[in-house]
Amino acid sequence: MTTAVEFLNVSRHFGSIRAVDGVTLNIAEGTFFAMLGPSGSGKTTCLRLISGFEQPTGGQIRIFGQDCIDVPPNRRNVNTVFQDYALFPHMNVRDNVAYGLMVKGVDKRTRLSRADELLALVKLDHHGSRKPGELSGGQRQRVALARALINEPRVLLLDEPLGALDLKLREAMQDELKALQQRLGITFVFVTHDQGEALSMADQVAVFSEGQIAQIGTPAEIYEKPRTRFVADFVGSSNVLSAEMAAGFGGAARPASLRPEAVRIVEEGACVRGRVQALRYLGSGTRVIVAVPGGELSVFVTKGLPVPAQGAEVGLNWDAQAMHPMEQG
Amino acid sequence: MTLAADPARDPGHDGVQPSGAILPARGLGDRVSAVFWRHPNVLLATLLALPLLWLVVVYLGSLAALLMQSFYSIDEFSGQIRREFTLSTYAELLRPANMDIIIRTVAMSAAVTLGAVVIAFPIAYFAARYARGHWKALFYLGVMLPLWSSYLVKVYAWKLILAREGIITWATDGIGASAVLNGILALPVIGGNSLSTSYIGTWLVFLYVWLPYMILPMQAALERVPQSMLEASADLGASRWQTMQTVVFPLALPGIIAGSIFTFSLTMGDYIIPQIVGSSRRFIGQAVYQLQGTAGNIPLAAAFAVIPIVIMLIYLTVARRKGAFDAL
Repeated sequence: MTTAVEFLNVSRHFGSIRAVDGVTLNIAEGTFFAMLGPSGSGKTTCLRLISGFEQPTGGQIRIFGQDCIDVPPNRRNVNTVFQDYALFPHMNVRDNVAYGLMVKGVDKRTRLSRADELLALVKLDHHGSRKPGELSGGQRQRVALARALINEPRVLLLDEPLGALDLKLREAMQDELKALQQRLGITFVFVTHDQGEALSMADQVAVFSEGQIAQIGTPAEIYEKPRTRFVADFVGSSNVLSAEMAAGFGGAARPASLRPEAVRIVEEGACVRGRVQALRYLGSGTRVIVAVPGGELSVFVTKGLPVPAQGAEVGLNWDAQAMHPMEQG
Repeated sequence: MTLAADPARDPGHDGVQPSGAILPARGLGDRVSAVFWRHPNVLLATLLALPLLWLVVVYLGSLAALLMQSFYSIDEFSGQIRREFTLSTYAELLRPANMDIIIRTVAMSAAVTLGAVVIAFPIAYFAARYARGHWKALFYLGVMLPLWSSYLVKVYAWKLILAREGIITWATDGIGASAVLNGILALPVIGGNSLSTSYIGTWLVFLYVWLPYMILPMQAALERVPQSMLEASADLGASRWQTMQTVVFPLALPGIIAGSIFTFSLTMGDYIIPQIVGSSRRFIGQAVYQLQGTAGNIPLAAAFAVIPIVIMLIYLTVARRKGAFDAL
């Protein structure tokens, strides 16, 4: 498979701040790649390094094998959907979408008919003559998407594209984006701080922490086998067991992650006993926080199973292989 | 409502008297603000009464008086004003000598505005996009500082700078460029004996004096253009020049128009600068000054004064039609 984007030990330092620090990654052509991390973890800077709005202070960046140090953004065949959409307020929707063709000198009739095709693709057929200010957030997002696709980029970059939308719309757009990516076959690189979004949409996820990549893998790998405490904490709400606890429960003497849904509440044969501290109703089930010796464990009780009362003493139990050993630290 | 709640039922506030759901008014201020809260229109009326009075009576009233005067005429023999409606005063504006004044003034205002746009744009762009912290403070200081000193002092200073014996002549001589200066001064119409007695000189001084009024609105407009919009343009393949033409300029246009209203109308109304610096040919401001003073021809002075207003109205209408305010 062809590599669409390749980072070789890339760094971007702003003075003493190491926004991106020695990142190496490969994004295969046609994948939906998510860069996941908290704010300030370097994921957006990485995206801007691909688009050319930032220049690396060290390392190499290749797009489809071509070294792109010193190549300005307007000469890179990648396009971006900006977080604030950055639609031009003085142009109507059609002109916004056709902008990429206009600056290339494509004649008006061709570029507007192409803009109409893309507006149809994002289901905004009849909004071409409106100004961006007259559209809703979700519609603006579609316009930004259509505009970024008109130049037929080889890589589409999306900077927190769903961040400004409300929950319902966000979920609908997740499905649409995924379907669109599969249909077009373009490599999507997508920055988000929302782990649910990254896991549900991406083929590959890179988890960023303090300018470095903490782990790269498929969503399942990231979720089920977090390599570090940071990944376990950030992706989902895994329990992190200390080395002693893990050893005590029959695992290796290393810190381990334990998914809340792998923990069962039992009467007999408990690995550990504790007192219920808090209950959080989640609809599909209830999250039970149990205080145990050495910390607290989060337990997910599926809907239909009995939920213990607050303050009750319960026994907990899980399969030894549910504990996933992690690196120290 | 019980103000004195049972302390035993309120263990959280040990010793502190718990308050009721409604707090007592704390004097007149609270009562007045309550009235305003119940009747927002009263607040609006209170706030607007004085400014509106000023605007309607003093401002629009005098403007109406001016307009009325321009429809009167002057008796050629007695020099008395005939208070009857006539368009003869406006017809008088069409005399070649008066038309010259109008054309001269409009051309100068347009040239000053154009020059101001060209010079102000890079300064405003720098201030809006790159200046931060101290640099921004320095920018504001640099732009505003000239406004703090007396207008007359600045104009006379310029007269000395531009004079035949002034620093510009001296400097061009020093670098052996006096041929260039003489070449410029030898240009027809805009040239002259020296910079201080030519249209170029008048233009330079106007440009200097009104430049801040162009820079500030332009900078405010450019400041509102988010960085991501410029990035989006580059991202879609636009060169810097294309971004400038298709994104930055249209978005800055309302600011440019606002600035040009200042530079244009201030130049059209000014009567001091062309009197001190430039050829002795008259501008509208000077004509108004002389007509209402020494000549005592108030109707013609009023008719002259209406011209800048009409021109500004036409200018704004055209700008609006052309979509200059679409980005607002």
